[in-house]
Amino acid sequence: MASEEKPLVVVTCTAPVNIAVIKYWGKRDEDLVLPINSSLSVTLHQDQLKTTTTAAISKDFTEDRIWLNGREEDVGQPRLQACLREIRRLARKRRSTGDEDPPPLSLSYKVHIASVNNFPTAAGLASSAAGHACLAYTLARVYGVDSDLSEAARRGSGSACRSLYGGFVEWQMGERADGKDSVARQVAPESHWPELRVLILVVSAERKPMGSTAGMQTSVETSPLLRFRAEAVVPGRMVEMTHCVRERDFQGFGRLTMKDSNQFHATCLDTFPPISYLSDISRRIIRLVHCFNAHHGQTKVAYTFDAGPNAVVFTLDDTVPEFVAAVRHCFPPESNGDKFLKGLPVRPASLSDELRAALDVDPTPGGVKYIIATQVGPGPQTLDDPHAHLLGPDGLPKPAA
Amino acid sequence: MASEEKPLVVVTCTAPVNIAVIKYWGKRDEDLVLPINSSLSVTLHQDQLKTTTTAAISKDFTEDRIWLNGREEDVGQPRLQACLREIRRLARKRRSTGDEDPPPLSLSYKVHIASVNNFPTAAGLASSAAGHACLAYTLARVYGVDSDLSEAARRGSGSACRSLYGGFVEWQMGERADGKDSVARQVAPESHWPELRVLILVVSAERKPMGSTAGMQTSVETSPLLRFRAEAVVPGRMVEMTHCVRERDFQGFGRLTMKDSNQFHATCLDTFPPISYLSDISRRIIRLVHCFNAHHGQTKVAYTFDAGPNAVVFTLDDTVPEFVAAVRHCFPPESNGDKLLLFWEHGHGLTLAPGCFPLKLRPPFLATVARFSRTRARLRVCVCEVKYTPRVTHRVSSLEGRNRWPYAFHWVPEPVHVPRGDLPLPSRSAAPAPGSHCCSSCVESAVCTPSVGSSGRAARLSPGF
Repeated sequence: MASEEKPLVVVTCTAPVNIAVIKYWGKRDEDLVLPINSSLSVTLHQDQLKTTTTAAISKDFTEDRIWLNGREEDVGQPRLQACLREIRRLARKRRSTGDEDPPPLSLSYKVHIASVNNFPTAAGLASSAAGHACLAYTLARVYGVDSDLSEAARRGSGSACRSLYGGFVEWQMGERADGKDSVARQVAPESHWPELRVLILVVSAERKPMGSTAGMQTSVETSPLLRFRAEAVVPGRMVEMTHCVRERDFQGFGRLTMKDSNQFHATCLDTFPPISYLSDISRRIIRLVHCFNAHHGQTKVAYTFDAGPNAVVFTLDDTVPEFVAAVRHCFPPESNGDKFLKGLPVRPASLSDELRAALDVDPTPGGVKYIIATQVGPGPQTLDDPHAHLLGPDGLPKPAA
Repeated sequence: MASEEKPLVVVTCTAPVNIAVIKYWGKRDEDLVLPINSSLSVTLHQDQLKTTTTAAISKDFTEDRIWLNGREEDVGQPRLQACLREIRRLARKRRSTGDEDPPPLSLSYKVHIASVNNFPTAAGLASSAAGHACLAYTLARVYGVDSDLSEAARRGSGSACRSLYGGFVEWQMGERADGKDSVARQVAPESHWPELRVLILVVSAERKPMGSTAGMQTSVETSPLLRFRAEAVVPGRMVEMTHCVRERDFQGFGRLTMKDSNQFHATCLDTFPPISYLSDISRRIIRLVHCFNAHHGQTKVAYTFDAGPNAVVFTLDDTVPEFVAAVRHCFPPESNGDKLLLFWEHGHGLTLAPGCFPLKLRPPFLATVARFSRTRARLRVCVCEVKYTPRVTHRVSSLEGRNRWPYAFHWVPEPVHVPRGDLPLPSRSAAPAPGSHCCSSCVESAVCTPSVGSSGRAARLSPGF
């Protein structure tokens, strides 16, 4: 093995964003990042949203360093350290169980990491999960680790473990105190439901919402409803949601997704002091969805909201044009050259008179800044193209092209 | 008894609004109006908010009729009928258990009812409770019923039974299927906590929110969290709240009030489709309260919200000026001659022109709220007291000719001091001048009607009047 030591090992990977349809909110262990209930998510396609991370190890590096979106950050930050330590631990374990060689020098080398998102962090699009998943995955490739990475990703950011797989993913809460059984696993692959589409309605955020970590901690400490949700409601919903996904039952999937989003936000409101992630725009989007579904006499679109005002709307491909037209009608884009619709192309459509009448809302111009149209996508990827590396041969971020 | 039969019997009563601090939301029986959990409320002073109801029975009336805020409504409406039937049933029962006389003719007479609020219905100030309590109470006086009126009020509107008492009132959910033990009772009298003040922040409602009856029914049917709340959370909170009230523990009272308001709204959000009664303005008020309390290092003000965006804020009298100043700072009134009316003493009002507010925020707090973006919002503040809440007043209204139903009081926007023992008679030109009737005067200036004396004669009108 010693002859394979390279002066510089560089790996670049990408990892996706995931959106929970059965929500994770609240930890039973802050240190190991173990949740109070299981959760289930949909992995979004990396063509529209992804994190790219390059990790390089070299005997010439004097310290660990990290750059996020071009800016150097504090690598001593506990979550980064937790992830790094876990990967190194796994690397050490692998080599010591494998063959007789002593751990290679590379385990003592310092690492340089650079990471970028292809979507704005300010958009509140849960970049934390993609980022930490990518970090864990990339470091694992650099250190030659091929065991389960749930813990490494989780300890960076809980929901990051769900970004380790494509398609539909569950994070089983586990029962063990050491969290070894708190792992993510794929429920169905990305090819399972090809008609499913995801529309992200990016809403103008007037106020920076309370961060998830502090928020969920306060919820666990103060909300009686949250404990009941975790113990008595979510387990049944996990079973039901898994069933809806496997059966491609959009009615069931959609209704349950909306109910779980609402219940999550209900527990935030039951927190003390109360947390409100939904804005008036969010509520209008909710009303639009219910109105749209009532008009069609069935669940054709379904919303979910994370810890912020952006709406993620699920629907099937044949409904996308009409729903986008409905959004335009209720939230007329403020024309400014910027594209209102990004991502997958969407056929223009007009609203029927009946639907227009049914929507019956005062338009809120500019309420929705833009829409990203995407679909279900694969898990993390390793990039073979050396031009994709974010770090140069000197281990420093390449200047932006 | 027969010799006392009058051709016309008229009684007028007033009844208060109540604000729940442990919320009622959801029925276990739609017909008898039995709740899934108990609730506890604070009765507000009638000088600021009340319903006035006149009921008259006469052998000359050909049918039951009712006018609400000047407009004739359908008396066949189930809730009105439920109340009316219940009172007549109680009247029949009383007389049949009392003496040997047959039920007097008055039980077969038709009744005419007129009812007005001194605050705008559009303000979403829970007029239903005051209205139905007043109806039950007035009818009871007309028919000579003196038994518990909880059922009669409840079947009109659940929370109305809590408006049958002053001070602090609980509505015990009861266990019986027939609802006989689902009654209101006073927890502490109005004199118990003289320093307590209630501020109502009336928010301009952009959208008519979903009505309570349909809303709570949907919640019961669809929200898992609501069932848990009713079974596992509220019972303990009722005990705790009763304790806080009895001990005059404002910290405990305030915190629990806020938590219960939030939990109620949480169950609305957990409903499907979800119900959102809180608007962005409501949420800003919530943040202001938490900011204010954090600044002072203790719970000095506490909010609660019913099924609408208006905020009801509890505080002690010494905190009112500073909190109102904070509200004005964060929600500057649209300059337009807005008046902010504050009641400091029982029955006396104080009208302040904008900018003349006596209290300026002190710099430390000003810095704390400085990061609030000031919101241009139509917000009106009305301050009420809890103390001195007369349960109901008897008052005789003069009836100027039997064919002049309904008549309306001539409301004036400025407070009027009315000497005790004397009652304002409606003027002959009873139609309110445009712009000066109750609703717009309340919204424009947050004034509520002139105070009427707290007690009056209860004499019946002589025949031939």
